[in-house]
Amino acid sequence: MRIGSPKESYIADEALFRTRTQWVWLWLLLAVLIAYPFVANLYWLFLVCLISINIISATGLNILTGYTGQVSLGQAAFMGVGAYTVAWLDNNTGSPFFINLLAGAGMATLVGLIAGLPSLRVKGLYLAIATIGASFILQFIFINWESVTRGTRGINIEPPSVLGVTLDNPDTFYWLVMPIMVVMVLLAANLFRTRIGRAFIAIRDRDISASVLGINLPFYKLMSFGIASFYAGIAGGLYAYFFGAINPESFPLLMSIFFLAAIIVGGMGTILGSILGAIFMTLTPEILRYGVDILSPYIDNAPQILSPLRTAVFGALIVGFLLFEPHGLAEIWRRVRRFFHLWPFRT
Amino acid sequence: MLVSKLARQLMAPVAAIALALGGAFPTAWADNDEIVLGGSIPMTGPFAFAGLQFDRGLRDYVEWINRQGGIEGRTLRYVGEDTGYQQDQSVAVFRRITSRENVNFYFGDSTAFQQTINRELDRRDILMTGASFASELNDPERYPLQFLLGPDYSEQVGILLSYIAEESPGARVAFIHSDTEFGRDPIAPGRSKAEELGLTVAATIVTPPGAADISSAALELRRARPDYAIFHGYVLAPIPDFIQRARQMGMNTRFMGTYYTMDQGIINEMGEAADGFMGVMPYRYYYDETGPAPIMDAIRELHGDYQTTTYTQGWLTGVLITEIARETLRAGKPFTGSNLRETLDSLSDIDTGGIFGQPVNFRGNSIPLGRIYRADVSQGQMVPVSDWIELE
Repeated sequence: MRIGSPKESYIADEALFRTRTQWVWLWLLLAVLIAYPFVANLYWLFLVCLISINIISATGLNILTGYTGQVSLGQAAFMGVGAYTVAWLDNNTGSPFFINLLAGAGMATLVGLIAGLPSLRVKGLYLAIATIGASFILQFIFINWESVTRGTRGINIEPPSVLGVTLDNPDTFYWLVMPIMVVMVLLAANLFRTRIGRAFIAIRDRDISASVLGINLPFYKLMSFGIASFYAGIAGGLYAYFFGAINPESFPLLMSIFFLAAIIVGGMGTILGSILGAIFMTLTPEILRYGVDILSPYIDNAPQILSPLRTAVFGALIVGFLLFEPHGLAEIWRRVRRFFHLWPFRT
Repeated sequence: MLVSKLARQLMAPVAAIALALGGAFPTAWADNDEIVLGGSIPMTGPFAFAGLQFDRGLRDYVEWINRQGGIEGRTLRYVGEDTGYQQDQSVAVFRRITSRENVNFYFGDSTAFQQTINRELDRRDILMTGASFASELNDPERYPLQFLLGPDYSEQVGILLSYIAEESPGARVAFIHSDTEFGRDPIAPGRSKAEELGLTVAATIVTPPGAADISSAALELRRARPDYAIFHGYVLAPIPDFIQRARQMGMNTRFMGTYYTMDQGIINEMGEAADGFMGVMPYRYYYDETGPAPIMDAIRELHGDYQTTTYTQGWLTGVLITEIARETLRAGKPFTGSNLRETLDSLSDIDTGGIFGQPVNFRGNSIPLGRIYRADVSQGQMVPVSDWIELE
């Protein structure tokens, strides 16, 4: 049982990690993340790289939708902007990947700010539809601006290299994507210790009250769109480098829905929710493959019969979460933690 | 009580971690006497209609060839998993299979995947083919370890245009295509090919994919009054709708399609309206019994009912990799992707057991050979209206 965690200063009260237990777990997690590439095979490294990219994008969307209350279905298209910017720079200027990534994020931010303009007048479902509109316009640009995007043929991107090491495989790419993911998540967590983050939450909880409190609604709403798109831009740029080829169909509307589902399943308005949601949404279909593997010896033609079932189980799990755990995986996590806070005593 | 509640809460994450760790280590490596064909197969999602047939075709072929003694005494093994026709899942499946097996050949499910994985093929030295007939992939310089299972989309349109130019010189042709990577693929090369053959391109009409409202597109077609209209980038919808409207408007346009449109489904789904619909098909239909075709006979022996052309495509994959593997083994070369490719380039007049109507040759990454068939509703079959056409 954990007792007595007094806070003697405001800084201590606002700290992200407040107890020694939390720090121990955090260091342990970092150690696991560092050790992981040495024990995992390329398949699991691939999945963790993909999860990291998805965590970055989901975190961005959670800032916008979970914390600021602005529903967006444009996240995948903003990722596309980041990815195409990176691809174009990579093919035409040969500038270093880090500059490309930042330029991609910057471009996505700009586009996100423009796409966020409707949020000044509409919210909720109306805003969701407006962002779908933005997403279709961007899709149209990806297809038709052939001189930049190569249209439907898609663009190939050379893998990035750092200090002479080419990051062209999940075992090397991991060392790029994982630190970026950790930094992006920490930045997001810290955002909500600042005035800006609190303004976002105030807007989500009641925009009129926030306005009365002196929060500049247009400014903060657009800023939220900008930040979410910045995250999408980074994720999109990493996606382009990771997969080595993109085309307009790499960033469909369904992908935006995927991210929205990830933050709902994970827990809206919590950073942990974005992480758990992205892990759940990426990993569950893959883990269900093991179910197919296990049943293969007993069922003739198992992949063909069980694959549709795998999709159905995945869908049912999402519905189950919405019904039985509307606050998401983050809430389950919190309950487990609370249990151990008082263990071995009952609440 | 409390413990059991906690156990329930922890069960899922613990199971997930256990599975994850279990999967983190390679489980089995292929026997040296095996030849492994991996596959990212779209068994669910929008392309499942073909993916399920690829899977069946590949499995049946593998069983069949192993019954015949394998390839030079080696067993062929097929490992395919579902991708849902999503690029990231296709890559995940590739990674999953290649981390467990010593893969020699691979079957990809989409152009996007085949582009993405190209670098990895070079690194792992694996030879790949797949469901895509994208012209983009028909470039041995950029995609040295890939080959197509027939003519690429531009060549398919080229075969149609050659037929048209032969049948009615100077005819007016319209292209109707979906606004997708698939749909746009052969349009620009098709237009220049048409001009080269002395045909007039009367219209190029773009529609959204699938069953969208095509009223204005149909009117555009009527204004253009083409002699022939070539559909590309669809499987079925909105082709029936187009044809019915054209008939109602009294147009005599002859409608044509490319490979994925040309399965028996067009007759079964469209009924009377399908009559006269034509298109290019690189493979022999199940019921086409003209000429010797031992592989088609084997398929017919295995299944008494109609098998789709995508099922035959699975068999063709098997036939071609068998040929490539056999020649490589005979030459005593190490079994690497580059050597397999070298063998592929050296092969000529490949016998596909009658799947193609004549011996085939690769040009670049593709086999630019096909035949024009016409839907004959009274027979309920596609009947050939041309000989096999090979593009130069």
